[in-house]
Amino acid sequence: MKSFVDSVAQWSRFQRNRNIVIQAVFLFFVTLLGVYFFVRASGLELSLSHFSSRAGFGLSHTFLVDYTSNDSRWVAYFTGVVNTIRVCLVAIFLTTLLGTVMGVARLSKNFLTSKIAWTYVEVLRNTPLLIQIIFWQIVFLQLPQISEAITFGDTTAISNRGILLPWISDNGNAQVWFIFLGIVAAGSLYLSYFLNKREDVSGKSFSIFGNRLNGNLAGISLFVIVTIVTYFAFGRPVSMDIPEITQNNKGTWMQSGGFDLSPEFAAILFALVIYTGTFITEIVRGSIQSLSKGQTEAAQAIGLSKYQAMTLVILPQALRSIIPPLTNQFLNLTKNSSLAVVIAYPDLFMVSRTIMNNSGHALPVFFLILLTYLFLSLCISLVMNLINRRVTRIGA
Amino acid sequence: MTTPRINFKEIKDWTIDNFFGSKLGILLTLFSALVITYFVLSMISFLSSAEWEVVTTNRRLLLLGRLPEEDTWRAWPILWLFCSIFCSSIGAWGNPKKRELLLLLLAFLMPAAIFFTLPYIVHIFATVLIGSVAYISSKIIRRTSYIEILKKALVSLWILIIPLSFTILIVGGGPQSNLWGGFLLNILLASVAVVAGFPLGILMAVGRATKLPVIKTVCTVYIETVRGAPLVGWLLLAWFVLPKFLPDLFGLNDLSVVIRAMIVLSFFASAYIAEVIRGGLQSISKGQLEAADALNLGYIDRMRIIVLPQAIRVVIPAIVSQFIGLFKDTSLVFILALTDLLQVGRIIPEQDPKFFGKQLEALLVVASLFWVVSVVLSNLSSKIEKNLGIGTR
Repeated sequence: MKSFVDSVAQWSRFQRNRNIVIQAVFLFFVTLLGVYFFVRASGLELSLSHFSSRAGFGLSHTFLVDYTSNDSRWVAYFTGVVNTIRVCLVAIFLTTLLGTVMGVARLSKNFLTSKIAWTYVEVLRNTPLLIQIIFWQIVFLQLPQISEAITFGDTTAISNRGILLPWISDNGNAQVWFIFLGIVAAGSLYLSYFLNKREDVSGKSFSIFGNRLNGNLAGISLFVIVTIVTYFAFGRPVSMDIPEITQNNKGTWMQSGGFDLSPEFAAILFALVIYTGTFITEIVRGSIQSLSKGQTEAAQAIGLSKYQAMTLVILPQALRSIIPPLTNQFLNLTKNSSLAVVIAYPDLFMVSRTIMNNSGHALPVFFLILLTYLFLSLCISLVMNLINRRVTRIGA
Repeated sequence: MTTPRINFKEIKDWTIDNFFGSKLGILLTLFSALVITYFVLSMISFLSSAEWEVVTTNRRLLLLGRLPEEDTWRAWPILWLFCSIFCSSIGAWGNPKKRELLLLLLAFLMPAAIFFTLPYIVHIFATVLIGSVAYISSKIIRRTSYIEILKKALVSLWILIIPLSFTILIVGGGPQSNLWGGFLLNILLASVAVVAGFPLGILMAVGRATKLPVIKTVCTVYIETVRGAPLVGWLLLAWFVLPKFLPDLFGLNDLSVVIRAMIVLSFFASAYIAEVIRGGLQSISKGQLEAADALNLGYIDRMRIIVLPQAIRVVIPAIVSQFIGLFKDTSLVFILALTDLLQVGRIIPEQDPKFFGKQLEALLVVASLFWVVSVVLSNLSSKIEKNLGIGTR
């Protein structure tokens, strides 16, 4: 017996062995917790089989999906996901622009400009996003009635039913044309990348009739030329769609055509862009300030204009420290888009909440929400990591 | 004494330099002036047409929600308790300038002016008095050797403030917890979440930083899962699923929604606090760990004595920021049908036909209340950052 105790004492003298014991105990308790949850969950419906049944509720926004209340819950859910992606993509693009402009304005030598940016950050960063969403909704609903819509030269109409913008309409084979254009765009990007690379490596530049052609310019001109040529070759696949406000014979005002920016979509978009923009402003400002002042002075010394110094010297370097926290803000924005539920914009969260309420099976739907947001976050992280790798490459 | 003379040349130079330095500068000035004029004009036109009756008649609802009339007094001791601890902490640690103290007083008096009527003037006065007495007395104690005791007492009071507030709310047959509401609810939710999430956050951060693969994986999975879904999702889980997972003991199954929201918010906060503390752990220099090894400290002692005190000290400002974020996020409890400040501000103009169309006024007051608290706290956090000398080595 004694020898057994001794050998255990001998064995436990090694840190490695003690680590194994600690982890085993830890794992035991985690498993215990897991088993408890599993037992508790066993009484609940855990499959998603009810998702194939009829949804039975309408959605006010269906983008790219022809959803009706007779479709299955999967289709409804998918519509919600598309709506989320739609608002997030537009918001991420706009908020980056706004944040960068405001971040640069915050550091402007102009007293008024920098104070505007300062006020913007201080006021809007410290108010809850939810309040801002509701505020924009109230603002958009207080716009004039459709009979007194504000119009800008018949191209744009603003009323409390939404903002109508000119858009393009499909004349038949627009989808094929867009796919074709996507391929051409990828080809042009590769062409400019290839030409730039070749010029960097060998010094040989691409030239037409003896004129040197920049790689970027070559790519853009290829794309533009192909677009114009195929526009006619495909038989004018798209045309301009100008919004119209008409009154039918019963006296009801109707709006048709154009791109309809509904009050809900506009409210969630504005709130997300403006709220996230405050954080991006601070990120941009911090990154620019962290660069040494010598960079600005060096740019001045070689005779660059202020704009050139900003776009060619300061921002490219600041980007290295901007991108990681920027990614974080994009992820926050994506998660915050779930607050659209408060103004009844049918994003993925609102749709799944409706499904939860209708079906009564909350847990599996919740896991689906979790997985969807994780998937969206992973996509954003992936893209941003690719950009980050490109930006941080030294000598790129 | 020579009176400072106004240097007109300097002013002229400053003006030209700031406003009309270059073509771009002139353009920017004009554009900015236009923007400012637009906002000021629209503010003036809004304020001149605004009617604040919607706020003045619903003061109590906004601040305390559906807390019964006879329990309103309970809010005052909580405010006084908080005020005395807060002010004596400033006296014990901070070196505020006169201007900052004045601004702090203003930050308190402005909401007070909006929300309180004449009968409460005694209470307001008492709050200001308690605050100043606490500040001045701790300032006096600071000169003596009792300051260390005071500091320790204050730290323990900060930890005890949540249970004390709960006691004040519950003692002597207080109202049901589902009647808590308004601004009080926002503050309670955020404080409970941060205070309760803090220990778990430390454990998770330490767990994620260990070399033991099993513990590391479990902690990482926990943190990333919680951070992966939006807070409204987790709150919805508290609504639908949490009661089914709690054990049947002690009536844990039918906890009120407020308590459920607190539980979920605490877990949510712990994941974010863990990430903040992890940053603090990474900032500990390697020499400290080697020193701990040289003293032959075990893992637990090393963490407890050397690493964690330094790491937590570094991340205090970041935790205040987390608190601000969480405080703003407590407005999301609308999804649990709780009547927090924002929800009250939204419902009143919709339900009372007298106040129909006065949403913006109510919303503005709600926003300003959130704003005042957030700004005071964020200034405090940058003050602490300077006092600790973080980033200036």
